[in-house]
Amino acid sequence: MSAADPDATLFEQAACGLARTTVDGRFLRVNATFAAWLGRDVEHLVGRRRLQDFFTMGGRIFHQTHWVPLLEMQRSVSEVKLELVRADGEKIPIVFNAIRRERDGEIIDDVAAFVARDRDMYERELLRSRRRLEELVTEARRVQEGESARAVFAERMVGIVSHDLRNPLSTITMACELLAKSAPTERQARTIGMIQRGVNRATALVTNLLDLTQAQAGGGISVARKEIDLREFFASTMEELTFTHGARLLEWTCVGDGACFADPDRLAQVIGNLVSNAMTYGAPDHPVSVRAEVEPGHFAIAVSNHGPPIPAEVQTSIFEPMKRGTNENDRRRSVGLGLYIVAEIARAHGGTATVTSDATVGTTFTVTLPRRETDT
Amino acid sequence: MSVLRRNNVTVTGAGRGTLFFAHGFGCDQNMWRLIAPWYAERYRTVLFDLVGSGGSELSAYDPVKCASLQGHAEDAIELAKEFGQGPCVFVGHSVSAMIGLLAGIASPDSFAAHVMVGPSPCYIDDGDYVGGFSRDDIESLLGTLESNYLGWASNMAPVIMGAPDQPELVTELTNSFCRTDPEIAKHFARTTFLSDNRADVPKLRSPTLVLQSRDDLIAPVVVGEYLHRHLPNSTLTIVDNVGHCPHLSAPSPCSAAVDAFLLAQGL
Repeated sequence: MSAADPDATLFEQAACGLARTTVDGRFLRVNATFAAWLGRDVEHLVGRRRLQDFFTMGGRIFHQTHWVPLLEMQRSVSEVKLELVRADGEKIPIVFNAIRRERDGEIIDDVAAFVARDRDMYERELLRSRRRLEELVTEARRVQEGESARAVFAERMVGIVSHDLRNPLSTITMACELLAKSAPTERQARTIGMIQRGVNRATALVTNLLDLTQAQAGGGISVARKEIDLREFFASTMEELTFTHGARLLEWTCVGDGACFADPDRLAQVIGNLVSNAMTYGAPDHPVSVRAEVEPGHFAIAVSNHGPPIPAEVQTSIFEPMKRGTNENDRRRSVGLGLYIVAEIARAHGGTATVTSDATVGTTFTVTLPRRETDT
Repeated sequence: MSVLRRNNVTVTGAGRGTLFFAHGFGCDQNMWRLIAPWYAERYRTVLFDLVGSGGSELSAYDPVKCASLQGHAEDAIELAKEFGQGPCVFVGHSVSAMIGLLAGIASPDSFAAHVMVGPSPCYIDDGDYVGGFSRDDIESLLGTLESNYLGWASNMAPVIMGAPDQPELVTELTNSFCRTDPEIAKHFARTTFLSDNRADVPKLRSPTLVLQSRDDLIAPVVVGEYLHRHLPNSTLTIVDNVGHCPHLSAPSPCSAAVDAFLLAQGL
């Protein structure tokens, strides 16, 4: 290209930096644009300096470990981004392309350089957000792991404690029965009754806790279904409950009859849990009513009480473990397992547990179960 | 997972011994393309990728195991067990020279001799020791890697502007050569450039060739001389080469030096 070449500016003042170097990086030619970015004169560069002399140290290592082998093996590199250090110390991010060629028996590298300040800023933003995201993910994972470790621990504790509590409770029950047979005075008999009711409640709670552990760790509550006469079963269960709950009014009715296929112990547990729930949260001046109904394909047990309704947002999660309809500070609070166990037992029978609640008709929990295994 | 798959092992050639070629930081086994065929005529040659590089099984990259060069050295010993026939020689470039050193110390029977191409036991200056770099330089490298691997994470084939004389080479290389997962690249860079194996150097009793370039930014001549002084049984050969990859830019002088060394060892 001669000085008279009208296209000389195409090279000299190209819209990118252009340079030709030896394979060692020594400048053979360099255009004015590139020299200006480096803050050097063209004469200062050609034959005297190497391209990599203007990289940061990290850039020089990258040049040796990536750029040189790449050029050697594939004869070109593209979009390598390195910082150039200007004469005044300022660093400019530059994107490089380079091609290796043979010209007049010499092997040379042709290099094009583009300033990439905006791209650099954009990439830094991207890296920053990625790092932030990674931190958040790590933090979330840590919290999650902590929670699941705590849940496993709690579950084990519940399992162990409730199992160990069963023995002293059965000792107390047995002792009460012995006392009741030893001709107690009327006052003593009342006291024995109080102890027995308390132990019954504690035993029910322990049973629920063990069921919770089984349901959560063992994949569901086990049921042993067999044929029962619902009317007969219901009557005896309700008599026991009337005895247990003493003075409180308990109404019950049974509609229809026939054989039902269910686990009688589990069914008694369902009724017991629902009644004790209704007794605890229902209005004390209204009776709790229990209704059993046998239909052709299914049967249902419904337990109703009066009193303040369960808010709609609570109803949706009321069958989950440790959820209760009333607030935390309620002095009648329990561990909140009863309804969860009820739902789990219903599920194990292929049935459902539901709730309806409003201020005028009160609250009704209904468990609907198929009469036979083939019914759905 | 098989060692073959894990390290993307390529076995060629046959002969009275086995040469293991281990690439350095940044690239993969293709770095040996210019000199390995020469040895395949006379030796069994085993090329492989360090876990985390090239075509190795990236899922096998265990950040704990690979947090020191020792992890890669364990892999090298496994490779020797599985693929070695006759006396084995470990030819390691750059960081792999130190991986070979550690493998040779941990399992002296695995390798009869070592060839170290552009080795450095410690890249960072420390008191009287000149490694050539400061800790800031290494941080600066990590920044450079980050901005160059950013666009590479998507696993897209790069734009190749042209290698008209070797078109088949290009398609073969572009997918893996000098590319890897950006996080692994950074982790491996840190492991490599912050390693300090100076205390291990005197423990390698096997004959060792230190192949030093006349002008190498990554492993300067003083470092090669340091190794020669501290390795109990070493030969130092300085190759007239500028740059860190003499096996690419000066393959003939390199293979001549390796040939002479192997001959002297009766290999």
